[in-house]
Amino acid sequence: MRQRPLPRLALYLSAVATCAILVFPIYWLVVTALSQPDQLRQLPPSFWPSQPNWGVFGRVLGERPIGLWLINSTLAALGAVAISMAVSILAGYALSRFRVKGGQSLGLFILTAKMLPATLLVIPLFGIFRATGLIGSLWSIILAHATLIVPFTTWMLKGYFDTIPQELEQAAMVDGCSPLGALFRVILPVSTPGLAATALYGFVLSWSDYAYARTFLTNAQGNWTANLGITTMKGEYVSNWADISAASILVALPVLAIYLFLERYLVGGLTAGSDK
Amino acid sequence: MASIAIERVSKSYGATHVLKEFSLDVADGEFIVLVGPSGCGKSTMLKILAGLEAASSGVVRIGERDVTDLAPGDRDIAMVFQNYALYPHLTVAQNMGFGLKMRGAPREEIARRVAAAAQSLGVEHLLDRRPRALSGGQRQRVALGRAIVREPQAFLMDEPLSNLDAKLRVHMRAEIGALHQRLRVTTIYVTHDQTEAMTMANRIVIMKDGEIQQIADPTTMFAQPANLFVAGFIGSPGMNFAPLARDAQGRAALFGAALPDVPQGERALVAGLRPEHIRPGEGAATFTVSPTLVEGLGSEQYVYFDAPDETPRAGASESRRMVARLIDAPPVRVGEPVRLSFDPARVHLFDAASGAAIAR
Repeated sequence: MRQRPLPRLALYLSAVATCAILVFPIYWLVVTALSQPDQLRQLPPSFWPSQPNWGVFGRVLGERPIGLWLINSTLAALGAVAISMAVSILAGYALSRFRVKGGQSLGLFILTAKMLPATLLVIPLFGIFRATGLIGSLWSIILAHATLIVPFTTWMLKGYFDTIPQELEQAAMVDGCSPLGALFRVILPVSTPGLAATALYGFVLSWSDYAYARTFLTNAQGNWTANLGITTMKGEYVSNWADISAASILVALPVLAIYLFLERYLVGGLTAGSDK
Repeated sequence: MASIAIERVSKSYGATHVLKEFSLDVADGEFIVLVGPSGCGKSTMLKILAGLEAASSGVVRIGERDVTDLAPGDRDIAMVFQNYALYPHLTVAQNMGFGLKMRGAPREEIARRVAAAAQSLGVEHLLDRRPRALSGGQRQRVALGRAIVREPQAFLMDEPLSNLDAKLRVHMRAEIGALHQRLRVTTIYVTHDQTEAMTMANRIVIMKDGEIQQIADPTTMFAQPANLFVAGFIGSPGMNFAPLARDAQGRAALFGAALPDVPQGERALVAGLRPEHIRPGEGAATFTVSPTLVEGLGSEQYVYFDAPDETPRAGASESRRMVARLIDAPPVRVGEPVRLSFDPARVHLFDAASGAAIAR
């Protein structure tokens, strides 16, 4: 059937407008990074600096320990994702497959936990980490991020496992696998797209955290994550917005790279279950 | 290969009883088909046999072993699923060899047995492909291959042909039959399709609401159904039923024709007449009907008609609708009266209250 031109035009226009709204902040971040300080507040604003300052990235890398911050952020995110996936693979599978008394309520409870703001946990977690001597250690935010990520990833994986026919693990068990063996030998390899999407989601949640890092790591400069480090670049009286923007771009690049690398899996993982 | 004994197996989910005291002895090498409508408990029974569901009570023996509490992998059975359940991340060869690998068989032996099974099923050219690259029929063959490569004590098949198109289903039905003839492995096959049951089984177990209705070979099942349910389920189209009329002297008649050997008394009876036992033209008992629908299948015609007026009405008009299966008969047209006949000796009788068949 041929689509009428007017609705199609409206469709394209709304798509372009949506993309523009989403992309504009990123574009403005780049413009800010490449502009001279005196160009930033001029009116009317310049939509592209007359002399882009490409050297800002090198200077920021040289002046600030961005590499260290990135390593800390990566370690924290990898640690949090590893713990979260280990917990939520088993929890999501159990919720998906086993008829447990109160299982549905448990699932809803986890869903409710997703809705609580992260800041709600800051004070109790601070108490726990102080008592265990973890304040200032990367472990504090690894564990804190895991508490944040597990409800999301459990629910996502439960949804993904629901789309996999139970006959697959039944066949594996008839073939000689234990229930856990069927999970690891059949269900997890089949779930690669869902696992990749879920792990990346957890990685981004951890990577974008500021509140926990600010609370638990402020006094341990060597363990600062990228987000915490960038906020320290803002001075009390003077802030070099070009440097802050450049650092923000550098920090965003790894996640962007992972997204591009895993895009194939992500699309499959996030849309799984929409068709049979 | 082994015999299978199922002794008083029941399964309940809370107050819902899906399987009630199911008992069955399967001889070594026998092909048993469990058949019945959806929800009759046949798949649950198969899963209990496989160890994928636990029985609420009862005992399952495979060979001489009590396997009631054994894990599926320890029962030495193989299962073929309705949706094939091939592992999508493994190649055909890896799928077929998976069970042997789990049992620690040497790599060379796995390769040899997979190759032999693949050759016998005609899938040796597909060994390096993944399941998604196979057609439905090929997937079904691979699923069968995965079962036979293990050389198990018994095959369990859960509606393995349901996902195939009609033509392929007939073809694969014959292949499974031939495979059983060759391997002689004890097989329990679940289906809701009575044609599959009739064509494949040594014995059929027909089920309804978690209970066995009758266990018999296909010929007996067709000729001597134990009750109204079996009579209506087996045969295509199903048996016609009509409440039996009695005249003032208490003699039973169907469509005006007296029926011999009908028990005397007041109890209500139902007469059953198979569509293929109604013939065109004059016969021992002849009646005239006006067809309401005629389905021509080339070699035969299904002629639908309302039961002649002298038959007492059971209330709803649907209950009066009957069908005759006329083979090599002159063309019949809707609305044009046609003379049909039947042999009164071929009429089945059932107790109207209990549904049980009555011997004549």
